[in-house]
Amino acid sequence: MIRIEGLSHYYPIRAGSAPIGVNGHRSNREMALCDINLGISQGERVVLLGSSGAGKSTLLRCTNLSIKPTRGKVFIGGREITSAPIKEVEQIRRQIGVIYQQFNLLEGASAMKNVLLGRLGYTGTMQSILGRFSEEDHAIAIDCLTRVGLEKYAQKRVSDLSGGQKQRVAVARALAQRPKTILADEPVASLDPKLMKEVMDLIHKICVDDQITLVASLHFLELAKTYATRLVGLRAGQIVFDDIPAELTDKDIIDIYGETEDWVLYGKRGF
Amino acid sequence: MAKEVSKFSSALRPGRKLRHIVILVGVALIYIWAIEGSKTNPYTLVKGFPYIVNYIQRMFPPDLSILGKLTFKVGETLQMAIMGTTFGAALALPLSFLAARNVMPYRPVYQATRTLFDACRGINEIVWALLFVSMVGLGPFPGVLALTMHLLGALGKYFSEAIEAVNQELVVAIAATGANRIQTVFHGVVPQVKPLFIGYIFYYLEHNFRAATVLGLVGAGGIGIELITSIRLFKNQEVLTTLLVMVLTVTAIDRLSAFIRMRFIAGVEA
Repeated sequence: MIRIEGLSHYYPIRAGSAPIGVNGHRSNREMALCDINLGISQGERVVLLGSSGAGKSTLLRCTNLSIKPTRGKVFIGGREITSAPIKEVEQIRRQIGVIYQQFNLLEGASAMKNVLLGRLGYTGTMQSILGRFSEEDHAIAIDCLTRVGLEKYAQKRVSDLSGGQKQRVAVARALAQRPKTILADEPVASLDPKLMKEVMDLIHKICVDDQITLVASLHFLELAKTYATRLVGLRAGQIVFDDIPAELTDKDIIDIYGETEDWVLYGKRGF
Repeated sequence: MAKEVSKFSSALRPGRKLRHIVILVGVALIYIWAIEGSKTNPYTLVKGFPYIVNYIQRMFPPDLSILGKLTFKVGETLQMAIMGTTFGAALALPLSFLAARNVMPYRPVYQATRTLFDACRGINEIVWALLFVSMVGLGPFPGVLALTMHLLGALGKYFSEAIEAVNQELVVAIAATGANRIQTVFHGVVPQVKPLFIGYIFYYLEHNFRAATVLGLVGAGGIGIELITSIRLFKNQEVLTTLLVMVLTVTAIDRLSAFIRMRFIAGVEA
């Protein structure tokens, strides 16, 4: 279970970007998220919608504290993590697998090695430095590679794999964490339409089978409607829509994406 | 149309011509100052020309009888380079992480390590050698120490810059698995910089061999000691032999190292 309370985040302003806050007043910091309140139950599949810069990535990154939010609280499984000591944050992070648009794998290492890195949170510092993962971790890694259909590629270098295969390795790495939640930041935006569907099907199946909560940002509305149990629309750092996909009307879509280019004013800062 | 464009561009940058003149005068002044101070005088060179020809003539034919002795000294130079590179790299490797902003959040430590690197690198090997000869006596070992100190500075700088240039997203991804700080550095940063580090170390092995050839001039071992002895005793034929051996071995080491570096960087990569 994830609960987010009063979450706001500002990035330090960069030269050249418009110094206009959400409320129109000038400030020297760029507002990415403004007072977000969100509760997500176990097993939900939430898709975040919004234009570039609406705050989707920032929200995902604040959820596992990859970014420390300026204000507000994040609760994971009832535990408030924004002020928790780093050891606890690390233990919480183990339960949250993350998938990125750019895969973020070690290109020079094998698929197996990359999936094993998903076990780092369960491995002692010394063992992991020496590259000694337990028998159990190896078994888990093989199992995860099998579930994404890449067991034959375990010893292949990631740089020799295709884009779709790379994202499957990333899914396997997240899965190796035995996660309760998967955060996916534009997981298929780097893939062609056919692969998009394949990889989304895979993520969807895994989340349904293992009762994993999914919070994903997706660019394509059609994909979002297909895989989500709930849609959350963000605009300029605020939630403007939060309901089941069937309730999303054309008016809501305009609310989220805007019909004019006025959202450009809020800056395109996005990860 | 074209005229309008040029008018427009000069309107954008007023005083551009004046700036050019100021720069030109400035450069001219710097050269006048440098020529004056360094007593650069083509006439001295022309006047000395007969002596230069004479000196070169007396170098021929090279005295090959000292080849055996030189071979031994080439070996010693290589041994110094290997040890200096090993110690320098071994020290720079852990310290460079302290001098990388993305790994070391505490500014004082970062600044102190950076300063140490700058100091070590700022002092030339031969100056380090002079100091170490005074401290621990003549021979190749003070040479090794000299190479170590300079290399610590140079590798420390390049290592830490490589660490700062890693793909930070990948590091964030490793931290997101629940890895602790040390694990994140070892599995997120180290694999990214490893091929670069290996490349730098081999480059500096080659650099250190070149540097070690002159350390003998101040009594810190290696082939340089033969050169300075021959020059002082006016044994010009030996000077030529020594120079030839230096050129040949440096070239050979450069080629070998380039070959190994290429194989390594192509083959290892994380």
